Formats: sequence, structure tokens, C-alpha cells
Amino acid sequence: MKKNYYLEKLYNSKKPFIVYKVDSGYDIFTDFSKKIYINNKNIKSFFKKFKKVKKKNNFLDLYIGFFGYEILCNLQNVKIPKQKSLNFPKGIFYKPETKIEIRNKIIIKSKYKNYSKLFGKNFFYPNKILSPFKINIDINKYRKVFNQFSKKIKEGQTYQIKICTKYKNKSLIDPVALFWKLMKTNAAPESFMIRDKNFSVVSCSPETLIEKKGNKIITKPIAGTLRKTKKTNIKKANYYFKNNIKETKEHNMIVDMERSDLSRICKPGTVKLSKIKYVEEYKHLYHYVTQIEGSVKKNINVKDIITAMMPGGSVIGCPKISTLNLLNLQEKESRNIFTGSFGFIKFNGDMRFNIIIRSVLHYKNTSEISVASGVVVDSTARNEFNENYIKAKSLIDLYK
Amino acid sequence: MIYIIDHKDSFTHNVVHQFSKFDKNIECEHFSKVNYKKINKADVIVFSPGPGSPKDYPTSSKIYKNYKCKKKIIGICLGFQQILYNEKAKIVKQNKIYHGFQSSVRVTSKKSIFYKNKMFKVGRYHSLKLKEPFSAKNFEITMRCKISNVVMAVENKIDHIYGFQFHPESFLTENGNLLIKKILSA
Repeated sequence: MKKNYYLEKLYNSKKPFIVYKVDSGYDIFTDFSKKIYINNKNIKSFFKKFKKVKKKNNFLDLYIGFFGYEILCNLQNVKIPKQKSLNFPKGIFYKPETKIEIRNKIIIKSKYKNYSKLFGKNFFYPNKILSPFKINIDINKYRKVFNQFSKKIKEGQTYQIKICTKYKNKSLIDPVALFWKLMKTNAAPESFMIRDKNFSVVSCSPETLIEKKGNKIITKPIAGTLRKTKKTNIKKANYYFKNNIKETKEHNMIVDMERSDLSRICKPGTVKLSKIKYVEEYKHLYHYVTQIEGSVKKNINVKDIITAMMPGGSVIGCPKISTLNLLNLQEKESRNIFTGSFGFIKFNGDMRFNIIIRSVLHYKNTSEISVASGVVVDSTARNEFNENYIKAKSLIDLYK
Repeated sequence: MIYIIDHKDSFTHNVVHQFSKFDKNIECEHFSKVNYKKINKADVIVFSPGPGSPKDYPTSSKIYKNYKCKKKIIGICLGFQQILYNEKAKIVKQNKIYHGFQSSVRVTSKKSIFYKNKMFKVGRYHSLKLKEPFSAKNFEITMRCKISNVVMAVENKIDHIYGFQFHPESFLTENGNLLIKKILSA
């Protein structure tokens, strides 16, 4: 990372800010003039903020933040039974007034003329592990849940379901240092970081849930993971996915489900697979991805889009609603942000959202990494349990 | 007008999308919130795919019985089983489960509106299947899985009832649009 006086000051202040990966670099948003805690009561009025604006869109005319898993379930009228919970906010959106674009050059744009003086006192972020990472369910408990879900699949209640496991430690962290360390090895396309006064999120999410510009909307579901070894390469990974019946079936199911979600909000005949079954390469693993797109119908608003697409199907299972109900009965601990969505909505209704996976949530001196993998008819408990570990590894390694 | 009954499935809107290529006037409602005024106006009733088994959806069974012989009825996956269940068929678990599976299907009957012996690839998502032997008045088994021989389609040309165990709306199904077009104009 290049040295920049403004950024150094920002990193060493207590000021909240957000980093979001873009194709050619990173965008940083800060100087938040509003912070909205999203709950079931205000979510509808929040959506109403985004009406078609005719005037030219300013680059700061947007809200950036996240929806947690629970509020997205509630949007589907799915209630979650009482769970062990950190009482972490269900969703937060911020209105930024300053944007820093990190490309070949660093460009700062702000509504405030004195933006370079708005830092407050310096603050030192200690990096300290107070207790090592522990998993919340062991292989035996996992196997029990797994077998119950396998039975549900045989009965036709669900076709695919994702079991969530969590790794937690007690720690103090410098989220900025952690994030840039992660980006050196794993700059996934939907990476982001949030640093607020009492929590932070560091993420290398690979999965784009919504990319909407004008009436064009794209989603890129991931289903299929292969561990990287010295012998694998992208060509071999492709061969593996194409010839592995289990991975192919899991992927097909997600593709048909995402087509259906898009079909709710798109003009008939416009939903198409624009890139079918390709492999993306990451630090420790390969992913199997398909890109689906469509043209949004005229009378569709922001709420319709969010409700149709979230929570993203590839991290839940299929069919979405009955699987959500099965999951929520089984999971004893709140997913918090995990499998929620982070991104922004512009005032003109354009938006970009990811699925929050491969993320560390740091809150109340606890770092929490959640992962999930799918139970389908021919998966085995041991394999899926291990897949969860591969997914968490690059984040756990950050603490070394 | 085509009225689609949604069994809370994540594929229903693919069905809606597909049918809307042939009829601009489509209504799709959740099985617990069906609107009989609208159904009465419809020319075609479609039972969507969905989780679980036909016995979990008594309202859909009631609709089938009420409108059989009065309107064209199409069932997909669970909807297919729904039709058969109400024709006194047994719907049972199968040993090998097909979710997201592409397999070859063959038209096995001369009485089908499709050409006999025609083969094509289809997308399948089902844990349950029709138990054989099965027979019901005017019903004809018209397609089977090429490998397992499991029933993949039934047709009742006299009462205009058509059912597919596979998913014509899936991206895994070749010529899915053609299938639907042919049935809508039959």
C-alpha cells in the first residue's frame, strides 16, 4: 500500500470508515453524516428513500452498509426462534460525505472543504490474541445435524441445505492492518472492511449477489469448492467440477434457483445465463461460478429487488423458504452478519451487494468467523466438515 | 389466462417466466392464498413444483378435484405428483435421489402428443416418484427415464391433464419451451 498522509491519519484515528473492493482498486467511504440502524419497523421507510431521482446522480448519493441474516429472513416472513446471540445490530447503513478512490493514484472527493482536518485524536489499535480459535460444534455434533438434514432430503422437504459452523476467539484487533494483510494474498472481488467505533468486519467475500445498473441486473452464484494443492491448477479444477456429479448437481440447483429469483423482478424472456459454469481461483481454493442476468421490469422498486434476491440462495440451500425454516430450527447460534449482504444502494436505485461470507466479525472483544457448506443427497459429514475448515483457513491464518 | 399455484418453491418463477412467453396474462399465487374468482377466469391451471409430498397440500388437491374436466391442468414435479395422488396413485420415496440431475427421457407411448421414441435431456429435482403399476381412466404414461425407467410424464388428452416429473423450466431441459408450447396448444 502506498503511503498517503490522509490515509495514515484516517487509519490512526477513531473515525468510522468503509473499504469496498472495485475492479481496479478500492473505494473508501467516510465522514458519515447519517447512520441508520435497520430494524423490522424502519426497513420499509428505509427502502422508500430510493425513489427514481431525475437529477444527475452525485457520486456520494448512496447509502452503504449491510443487512444481517435475521432481518433478511424477516423480510421473507420467516421468524427465527430464540438463539444464542451477541445482540449485534441487524443491519446498519451509512451516508458518506467523503470518498477516497485508491487506483494507480489516490483521489479524494468530499462534500467538506476541510475534509483533511476531520480526524480527531490519534488512536492506537492493539493486535492481541487473548484465547485461541475454537469451533462451536465438533464433528460428532455436526454429524448428528447432518444426518437429520439428510433424512429431510430423502423426504423431499429440502434439496440442499447449508450447515453453519463458527470459529471464535477472544482478541483485540487492528481491522485495517488485518484487512490489508488479507488483501495481499486474497483480494477477492467482493472484499470489504467496516471499522466503526464498537465493531469491525474484515471480509474477502468472493460472491456477487446483485450488480444493478439502470435496468440491467446481474448475479454470480458460487456453488462448488475445491481445495488447492501443489498438483491442482485452474484447468484441472475445471475438469474436476465438470466430472464431479455431486458438485455439478449442487451447482445446477443453485443456478435454477437464482434464475427463479431473478425471474420475479425481470421482464419475461430476459433472464439468461451469460457465463455458464466457470472456475475462479483464490488463495486456498477454487470456486465454480455461473453468471446470470436479466432486465428489471419497469414497476419494480428497491424493496422488490432485495426481497427477491436476499438472503442469497447459494448460502442457504433450496428451496429457499422451507430450507430457511429447517435451518433456523436447527442452528442454536445467531448467524449475525454471516450470509447477510453488504453493499450500497444509490439514490437512483442502482446497487451492488455481495453475500457476507469469508468474514471476520469483531465485536465485544470476540472475533467470529462463520462458514457453511452444503448437505446434498450424496455428501458426507466428514467432507463437508472439512470443506468448512478450508473456507475458514485463510481468515484464521491472519491471526498468526 | 394461466393461473399458477405456487407451492413455496424456489423454481416457481422459472415456471412463470416460461409460461409468460406464451400468454401475457399470468397469475401466480401462494397455495394458501388462492383466489377462486381468478381461477374461475383461467383457461389453464398449473400446479408448481415444491418441497414435501402431495398430501401436504390439501387445498391444491381440492382445486384439482373441483376443476378437473373443466380446465386444462398442468402439473410439474410436485404438481405432477399432486395430479397422480388425486387419481389414487401411490407416491413413494426412491432409492436414488435426483436433485439438479440431468438425465435422458424417452417418449414411450404412441398416444402422446410428442413423437414416440423421441429422446431428450431434462432437469430433475425429485426425492419421490410414482409407484407402479398405475392406471387411471384416460391417463397414459407417455415418458420414462431412459436408464431407470421411472415415469417422467403422464397425459390425459380427453380431460386435458398433463404432468411432468422433470422440470421443463430448468436450464437443464432441452426444448423445454417447445414442450410447454405444444401442451398449451393441445
